[in-house]
Amino acid sequence: MKRRTFLTGAFAGTAALALGVNLYSPTLTIAPDDIHHRVLFSVFIPIFLDGSLPEVPSHREMAINRTLDAISISISHLPQAQQDELLELLELLEGRFGLLLLSGSMAPLLGREPQQLINMLEFWRFNFLDMLKTAYSGLRELIMASYYSCPEHWGSLRYAKPTFLVSSAN
Amino acid sequence: MAIIDPIITGLSAGWHHIDASTLEKNRHFEADVVIVGTGAGGGTAAEILSQAGLKVIMIEGGALKSSSDFDMEERHAYPNLYQQAAALKTADKGVSIFQGRTVGGSTTINWTTSIRTPQPTLEFWQQAKSVKGLSAAELQPWFEKMEQRLNIEQWQYEANRNNAALRDGCEKLGWQHTVIKRNVKGCWNTGYCGMGCPVNAKQSMLVTTIPSALEHGATLISRAKVVKLEHKGDKVVGLTAQAMTEGFKPTALTVTFSAKHYILSAGAIHTPSILMRSNTPDPHKLLGKTFLHPSLLSGAMFSEQINGHSGAPQSIYSDEFVWQDGAAGELGYKLEVAPVHPVLIASKTIGYGVTHAQLMANFNQMQVTIALIRDGFNEQSPGGQVRLTDDSFVLDYPLTEGFWRGAKRAFLSMAELQFAAGAKKVLPMHDGLSFFDSWNDAKQGINQLDLGLIKTIVASAHVMGGCAMGEDKTQAMVDSNGASHYFENLSVMDGSVFPTSLGANPQLSIYGIVARNATALAQKLTGAT
Repeated sequence: MKRRTFLTGAFAGTAALALGVNLYSPTLTIAPDDIHHRVLFSVFIPIFLDGSLPEVPSHREMAINRTLDAISISISHLPQAQQDELLELLELLEGRFGLLLLSGSMAPLLGREPQQLINMLEFWRFNFLDMLKTAYSGLRELIMASYYSCPEHWGSLRYAKPTFLVSSAN
Repeated sequence: MAIIDPIITGLSAGWHHIDASTLEKNRHFEADVVIVGTGAGGGTAAEILSQAGLKVIMIEGGALKSSSDFDMEERHAYPNLYQQAAALKTADKGVSIFQGRTVGGSTTINWTTSIRTPQPTLEFWQQAKSVKGLSAAELQPWFEKMEQRLNIEQWQYEANRNNAALRDGCEKLGWQHTVIKRNVKGCWNTGYCGMGCPVNAKQSMLVTTIPSALEHGATLISRAKVVKLEHKGDKVVGLTAQAMTEGFKPTALTVTFSAKHYILSAGAIHTPSILMRSNTPDPHKLLGKTFLHPSLLSGAMFSEQINGHSGAPQSIYSDEFVWQDGAAGELGYKLEVAPVHPVLIASKTIGYGVTHAQLMANFNQMQVTIALIRDGFNEQSPGGQVRLTDDSFVLDYPLTEGFWRGAKRAFLSMAELQFAAGAKKVLPMHDGLSFFDSWNDAKQGINQLDLGLIKTIVASAHVMGGCAMGEDKTQAMVDSNGASHYFENLSVMDGSVFPTSLGANPQLSIYGIVARNATALAQKLTGAT
């Protein structure tokens, strides 16, 4: 696959502000590679969204799954070059040497304690290297945008779109 | 209440529209005038030229979406209506760019703010950029024409609390402020302009000039991305577009065009990109010099409900700091507000975890002021440069020391304003900061800030320049009427002709200048006087 390198180009840092129209569609399919990425994002989501996710376990799991679906579709809306950059970051985070490079440890993210993950994110966030700052802001924007684009996650905001069009459709 | 969708009605009545994603083979079209892009420039030009009796084709890279598609949800609006699903950024990821990609261009998704080109900008263009015939007096009839056409009038209703805070802060501090003129007719005051107007109140190109052009026999081809302009000697001899899929991926099919005259109205990134990809003459390396009004954000928490998602998104602005040091002096900034919707706010604020959750939990008490920095007027802000990649483009836009000085002043002004308006605490959007509890704390804290790339949130909704106008070929690609200096049958009619940024939201400047230039072109092409 032709790709611009994350290491030299810094990945897209995309907000990926979009979620697809098929968010709740039963036709949503998950590619094999995507399963790995879902595992990775499922590690980050509770960190980024601590305090926002529901506390009831079943509701929490549902919200995480909704966000994971949303992230997949958000990525699919990006131009190919940005998708390539993002996927390269994800692959680095899934590999031992990539992890060593980006976090100073080969320990898989899945096995790390929340505080260790926070330390890694803080290391990126305030790093002098723009590449690591970009990795932090890109993951942050993608996860935040995907979570808050789902209407069922707006309860705590007390935000709802006007209902006049919904009424007119009935 | 049922909303009549004028696009569906028009298509049923026989408007000529081709969705290129549905094509099964290559196609060729001919016309008197082919217009690339359907935003503020392309839409205005299409109406004027088709009314003059010319056969017009409008080509749009985005899709034809209309009020029945506009469901007031960011998750649908951004991928359907915005460039790169609203995730477009500069090459170094320092500036997020919001730009429309749909029929109607950015006018379909803008916040309706309509401001005439500021006089200092026009004077600077005349004095420093060799622009002629565009004084405030010369443009006045064209602004009046387009203000009438698009129902541009001062907002008559009470500003929402988000905008009222800007007004109240200005009043307390004695700062200049103005009630905004908006291009709306029968506005429902709901606040979802940025996701496409669901009730067709916004007088965007989508519901005004484009339907008018279609009524006059023009053809609209959507989901067709113009990739190349063919030229021979001093003439353009054709255009090639790539048909896109429903999901905006390129297909193998091409759509070609030939015409007597060609107009590029693809916006300040794509107009220069098309010319660069076509290897058109650019002996002075002027193509792609782009300006952004790079903007800072400041959030404020009030004890009362602000409900920044509700009501006209922008109804007040302040020009207190735009021209303080003269056009070519230290960078000035315009103060406005931004609507508060979940995705926009969640992604453009700072932090994560519990602190971010608390910010979001107080969503309805949040007021957001923005400062748009006026760029392109001096060496402190040379602007950006569009650069081609194998199959796309990137925009290099270095954020300079001069910019960061302006940004710090802007953060100070916004915090002072928000506290004066009654904010309990203020958070400049710079990573690592916590809320300031008083103006004194904010003043001290902001002055110590080390602003910089990525950690300071910078966004833009105004992409300008890239194909500058002027009479001096060493400074400009097109003349002051938008006619190419190098091709006798090529014009540029969009925000890319601006030789600098404006210091004001751009749509009315594009409408007025293009109305003037397209009228002159129509007279030339039809032989009318």
